[in-house]
Amino acid sequence: MLAQFVESFLQALTAGLLTGAVYGLMCVGLSLIFGVMRVINFAQGDFMMLGMYVAFYAFGLLGGHVPLGAAMTPYIAALIAGPVIFLSGIAVHWLLISRVTGIRGSALESEGHYAQLVLTLGIALILQNGGLYAFGSAPVSIATPLSSSAWELGPLVGDSVSVFVNQGQTVAAAIALAAVLAFVALMGRSRLGKSLRAAADNPEAAVYMGIDVDRAHRLAFGFGVAITAIGGGLLASSYPFQPYVGLEYVIVMYAGVVLGGLGSVAGAFLGGLIIGLVQQLSTLFLPNQLQNTAIFVVFLAIVLLRPQGLFGTAARRT
Amino acid sequence: MNGGSRANLRRQAALIAAFVLAYAALTAFVDNSYYQLIMTVVPVWAVMGLAWNLLSGYSGLVSFGHAAFFGLGAYFVALTQIHWGLLPWLTIPLAGVLGAGAGLLVGIPTFRLRGHYFALAMLAYPLALLYVFEWLGYQELALPMRRDAPVSYMQFDDQRIYAWLALGLMAGAMALTGLVERARFGMSLLAIKQDEAAAEAAGIDTLAWKLKAITLSAAMAATIGGFYAVVLLIVTPPAVFGMLVSAQALIVAMFGGVGTVWGPVIGAVVLVPLSEFLHAKLGNFIPGIQGVVYGIAIVVIILVAPEGVFWKIRDVGLRRRGRLALPDSSARADAPALADQPLPQRRRSDAPVLEVRNVSKAFGGLNAVQDVSLKVIGGEILGIIGPNGAGKTTLFNLLNGFIQPDRGQILLDGKNIVGSRPDRICAAGVGRTFQVVRPFRRMTVMDNVVVGAYVHAASDAAARAAARAALAQVGLSRETHLLAGGLSNKQLRLLELARALAGRPTLLLLDETLAGLSGGDVDDVISVVRRLAAQGVTIVIIEHTMPAMVRLVDRFVVLDHGAVLAEGQPAEITRNPAVVDAYLGQRWRTAHA
Amino acid sequence: MLEVEGLCAGYGGLPVLDHVSIRVDAAELVAVVGPNGAGKTTLFKTISGIVPALAGAIRFEKRDLLAVAPSARPHLGIAHVPEGRQVFPSLTVLENLEMGAYTAAGRRDWKDNLERIYAWFPVLAQRARAQAGALSGGQQQMLAIARGLASSPRLLMLDEPSMGLSPVTADEIFERIVAIHAQAGVTVLLVEQRVAEALHYADRGYVLEAGRAVLEGTHDQLASNDRIRQAYLGM
Repeated sequence: MLAQFVESFLQALTAGLLTGAVYGLMCVGLSLIFGVMRVINFAQGDFMMLGMYVAFYAFGLLGGHVPLGAAMTPYIAALIAGPVIFLSGIAVHWLLISRVTGIRGSALESEGHYAQLVLTLGIALILQNGGLYAFGSAPVSIATPLSSSAWELGPLVGDSVSVFVNQGQTVAAAIALAAVLAFVALMGRSRLGKSLRAAADNPEAAVYMGIDVDRAHRLAFGFGVAITAIGGGLLASSYPFQPYVGLEYVIVMYAGVVLGGLGSVAGAFLGGLIIGLVQQLSTLFLPNQLQNTAIFVVFLAIVLLRPQGLFGTAARRT
Repeated sequence: MNGGSRANLRRQAALIAAFVLAYAALTAFVDNSYYQLIMTVVPVWAVMGLAWNLLSGYSGLVSFGHAAFFGLGAYFVALTQIHWGLLPWLTIPLAGVLGAGAGLLVGIPTFRLRGHYFALAMLAYPLALLYVFEWLGYQELALPMRRDAPVSYMQFDDQRIYAWLALGLMAGAMALTGLVERARFGMSLLAIKQDEAAAEAAGIDTLAWKLKAITLSAAMAATIGGFYAVVLLIVTPPAVFGMLVSAQALIVAMFGGVGTVWGPVIGAVVLVPLSEFLHAKLGNFIPGIQGVVYGIAIVVIILVAPEGVFWKIRDVGLRRRGRLALPDSSARADAPALADQPLPQRRRSDAPVLEVRNVSKAFGGLNAVQDVSLKVIGGEILGIIGPNGAGKTTLFNLLNGFIQPDRGQILLDGKNIVGSRPDRICAAGVGRTFQVVRPFRRMTVMDNVVVGAYVHAASDAAARAAARAALAQVGLSRETHLLAGGLSNKQLRLLELARALAGRPTLLLLDETLAGLSGGDVDDVISVVRRLAAQGVTIVIIEHTMPAMVRLVDRFVVLDHGAVLAEGQPAEITRNPAVVDAYLGQRWRTAHA
Repeated sequence: MLEVEGLCAGYGGLPVLDHVSIRVDAAELVAVVGPNGAGKTTLFKTISGIVPALAGAIRFEKRDLLAVAPSARPHLGIAHVPEGRQVFPSLTVLENLEMGAYTAAGRRDWKDNLERIYAWFPVLAQRARAQAGALSGGQQQMLAIARGLASSPRLLMLDEPSMGLSPVTADEIFERIVAIHAQAGVTVLLVEQRVAEALHYADRGYVLEAGRAVLEGTHDQLASNDRIRQAYLGM
């Protein structure tokens, strides 16, 4: 009995880490938007959904003709989702979101929040239901050989405890981690990244430096949804999805970002990782359907008990 | 939208009755049962919109989760009928009670969250409930047909009866909203929405009002949810807990007009048939058309007319009639009348009204206020001055209760008020105006001041009387019906003074009341402040405009770098070497020694 | 170099500046003094474009500045060191300076500028990798000024560099500013509350009171004028 529990636990732990890594990537995207622009984007999950479908169709179009072998097709497809969603994010920001945010928006603190919350809710509805029309309601996923093969670790204890590590998910997790590291390097080292951080820290002073803060916000939004979309593309080969999938993941992402602490990219990644763990570990003692409820409970607990999260900086601006 | 006259109330009631009767009459002409269903559903969503409006429209706390209450009401009515055979006539009102409890339960923890966290949390509740109910096995709950007692179980052959019942509920919701709107309840919520900090400083217990709002709002949502279950006869989690439910409540109110009684009704009457029509015609070709339409409606409204159709029309109408501003002739007009009255002798008691003992406050590494001690004698006018960044406004924020000192005590009439909330401190007799004026812009001058009067007024009528008196004291009696957003700088300053006065303060904290005023305006405001002091109010004023201050105050306290630099009469202070140093620099002093 | 003519500006309908005109010629050090609320900071913010101009004109090197977007103005050679330091607290000292060098001129002269900045403010070299938010008030002020210099500006605008600093530190900052003006030949427009210090080093000065320029003159003309004292202290 104990052995069985240990095995279930290790299995859940492994699954949690693997999906958590991809959640972490998604959270990093969201944290960029919230960190730089102070915008709550309710449509983040729906951009992710779009990313999943782009990956799905790209997978079909690529037909296995990719470098590193056909098995890598889903992951290349996921990466393709990045630039596509980046462009759509830029467009949405330019047309709609910039009208209620930015220097103008932050001047009316409370009114600005209200408008941006409602606007992104409207965009979410359009994307979800537009997606329903465009893609149909039947759940799809990207089926690949890797996603149905697993390495067996074990037996670990005597004859019994073995853990199956899904190969597809492992590759996805590795790519997610690589993407996060690349992003961190971009934000930390490049002139663009520093200018985004400066615009987040102190928009007025950023203008005095000659940084176009509106453009910085636009880029942050584009990058933010693109990164999350890549995460979605990576998930697409593990789980089936349909146009309404975005709503479930909005809460997951916000829980991760808030847990990690606003203003910290590393925190967002860790937050997503922990949420993934919570989700998988909760299946040990809760029925499957209540997985997401467990996450909601965690989210509420964080915002009520420790709103600054694990690594968040309390006061961010001079 | 102004608080109170009976005539207004009767007119509103008559309008509601007329609308309901006209709508009911219309149903007589509709034979098609599908259209009859739509006519039923319109008032249902109007009520949902009114419910959302009661919380989010008036208070500005955006809720994306009203579906939680709606769904709870629906499932309550369905389950009690299925398992215990309870009659909907009983369970629908009970659903309201359940909803109220749920609202309170949700509100208590969730109101501790700031704006965006609040919206996210509210989003989570219905989603969580959706999963829970699916897990509980209630994916599709059908109410059993009761041919033995159809009326008892609200199962009518004629669809139109549902429409009439829905109309009745809607009329009730409208009446309730109308009553709330006019009363202290609605006004307090509006004040909170426009400037929560200013509302607290004016004595409004913001948490208590928010909880009352969510309780009533949730009760409404749950009641109509219960009714909806009876209409549809089938309850599924996505239909009652889904995103679209919350979105519909929101869009209906927003489109029609937030913060009004008729807004959600207008929104429902326009949007519901439209989306149903589109769904019926195009739903097969374009699944999800409803959601897209609502999404587009939300986006368009928030960009073009964020407050809704009702307000856009009203603004246009008001502008046409030129009621947004009046040429400034305020204080002077009243001055002759008041100048005739002899100024009562200013009493100076011995006991200090306010005593600050060794108060310190640091933000991070910055010592904003360092070991400041001072006493304010009853009846005096004390000026607090000092160079930029000296800690003056921080000191006021400490006195007011917006922030807590790290060390030290603040005694008001001998009682330590450290740790009290701003609205309690206001109730204890401290009134405050702000460095950057914080009026409730969308409310009239009278309503702004009435909000300030609630803290000590037992009834709404008493509040209005106190407001009128305060407005007379500052000389704004002729401007009572103007919207605060259109006032001149001087009028705004006087308005803030009146709002603080309406709370019958014994101590007034004035933060840069003269800022941005020129010449004649400065004199006007100074004479108002002098009159107030003459009437016995103790005044502490922060100012930079020295020439004016020197004429006004009895005594100065000079702050520099967060600490008290000097204290005394104006003449001594302006010659005090340390003060000259702080203001003009040491070199100036030595050059002019 | 900089001409402000009849400038009216304000926030949300409340006018703060009332027909203000000032002039700064190349290689000058011009001081703007006046009591709080006079509009000195608003003047700078309007020149930088953060506050919209309601009327009047601003010309920089003959160019109509009001036609240029706020974030493009630094690229013309105007560096604004704002009131209250306003460093980027979560970026390091070096990264703050890099942001100062965001303009093309700044990038071109980066190596030389950095050397000179470290020579003027050795403490910045020592704490180059520290987070700017962790520095003391005086150090942050040095960083803010250095950040302004890193753009190789033609005009350096300093808004109350001594605010909130102890007199000793403020004096130190002042001396550096004067040295920079002399050595690097940067034109300086300085807003200061400490009148005598400002006027002592300035070539010319303006006194702002309640949004109007009430007095103008050379260093000598203003230094002994008691009108200034009245403006600050009321008697």
